[in-house]
Amino acid sequence: MGKLFKTYILTLCIFFAPDVVTAQILIANPQIPTSELSRNNIRAIFAMRTPHWPDGTPIQVFVFEDENQTHISFCKHILGMFPYQLRRIWDRQVFSGTGVAPITVKSAQEMTEKISDTPGAIGYIELEHLTDSVTQIGSES
Amino acid sequence: MNTLNAILLLTLVTYPSFAEVTRQDNLKIHGFASQAYVHTSANNFFGDSEDGSLDFTELGINTSYQLSPRLRVAGQLLSRRAGELYTGSPWLDYALADINLLSTTENQFGIYLGRIKNPIGLYNETRDVAHTRQGVFAPQVIYFDKVRNLLMSADGFHLYSNHFLSSGNILIRIGAGYPLPDKNVEYAFMGQNWQGKLDRGKLGLFGRIMYEHDGGRWVFALSGTTLELDFNRGEQDAIPFPAGAGLSSGTIDIDYTTLSSQYNAEKWQFTTEVAFEHVSYNNISAAFDQAGFDSIGYYGQLDYKFNSNRQAFIRYEEFQLNRDDWNGKKAARESLATSLFLSGFGINQPPSPARNNYSKAWVFGGHWDIKPNLRLRAEYHFIEGTAILSQRENTVPLTEKFWNMFAMSVSYRF
Repeated sequence: MGKLFKTYILTLCIFFAPDVVTAQILIANPQIPTSELSRNNIRAIFAMRTPHWPDGTPIQVFVFEDENQTHISFCKHILGMFPYQLRRIWDRQVFSGTGVAPITVKSAQEMTEKISDTPGAIGYIELEHLTDSVTQIGSES
Repeated sequence: MNTLNAILLLTLVTYPSFAEVTRQDNLKIHGFASQAYVHTSANNFFGDSEDGSLDFTELGINTSYQLSPRLRVAGQLLSRRAGELYTGSPWLDYALADINLLSTTENQFGIYLGRIKNPIGLYNETRDVAHTRQGVFAPQVIYFDKVRNLLMSADGFHLYSNHFLSSGNILIRIGAGYPLPDKNVEYAFMGQNWQGKLDRGKLGLFGRIMYEHDGGRWVFALSGTTLELDFNRGEQDAIPFPAGAGLSSGTIDIDYTTLSSQYNAEKWQFTTEVAFEHVSYNNISAAFDQAGFDSIGYYGQLDYKFNSNRQAFIRYEEFQLNRDDWNGKKAARESLATSLFLSGFGINQPPSPARNNYSKAWVFGGHWDIKPNLRLRAEYHFIEGTAILSQRENTVPLTEKFWNMFAMSVSYRF
């Protein structure tokens, strides 16, 4: 009875587990002067509306393509937005000259390489791809 | 020596990636191209659309260069072919310097200098980019293509003040500039091509305050524009009645206020905007001076995303030239009386029918992103009224009150 019940509960847990089994994390160039960002700050950074870190270093934002699953999950879980909303904000800036869009990369490896090579860089990856060459940034909501 | 060699080697090894990153970071180039097919059951919209028209083509290329952390320059060249309204000759759409004066993680303050796109409603700044508007055409009841250049951009400056609060973002733009009227504006506001010319008058004022709640789940905006255009009459325009129109040089004042709201969910999006326009004519002629109007245009659009690359929408849009004369009945009676009066002097001026004072339409459409950068759109409009038509493409007495339009477009951007 006990065993069957445990199996039943376990099955339920797996079935209803939220899709955060693989978690997206914020990563940045190790030299950036911040270790934690509010959701608000992160939204403004990824909307390309905050051009500088508090010490004046230009922020360089790296993202995956709109269709990328990590990008979609990052938008939903970390930003609390949808990819189309970010795209709309970037488009408005790019096509009116009032701002720019982030740089798109194709793989987690390219993401970590670009971020470790670029001063002021920020991006995101799945936790499993975290390397020593980048710093994980905490997010508070 | 060894140290020098090491530095040299390190530089050579890292330079290509460093150079690539720097180049990517500071210089950005984007562009778009779009071709539409328009078929109307009657009336001409962007070309001889009754026979099916391919006269709507848009091309644009822009660049942005970060000169220093606080200074960025950007510009866009646009070629737009739209029936009789625009020939496709290249046009400097915007060219500005973005000077960032104050930058913290919560606040941004700066100034744009140069030719700047006017922040009107949610879509004015990017209405020429097919990927960024709500359909093959921006809703014409607010984003009039027949007077596009007047509201599109102005030469001057804008201050921006953006604030990122925990509840949401407040984005403020205030500016002044000279508008860029063209012949289309003359057709729209003065009914025909006069010998004289409409010029930019006084400095126009522009402003928009936008609030984005919870990362843009809800977006609200209030935009206002006030402009004055100078009409400088030609010699033939001055010939007194009844041999001529007897026009003087004068001004046209235009105030344009837009309220916008949008709800953004994962599958659903609802957008509604309303625009109030006040137009008054000063010292041009007795007839013009009485022809001022207060108009209203509004639409509601519901979008549904089937998945990331397929989307459908339904929209209702309406424009009324005179809020005190819904559906233009009074205007039609007066126009008929004027026409009869003029015929007594042997002047043939056909009366302007009621349908010319309003437009109501149901629009059904959707898009399919064949590739992330390649979008196919199709839509069908059921329209009553002819107010969105340009008199440059249509002879008013020959227009039809009820008409339908099918439009398709294929658009690429990078």
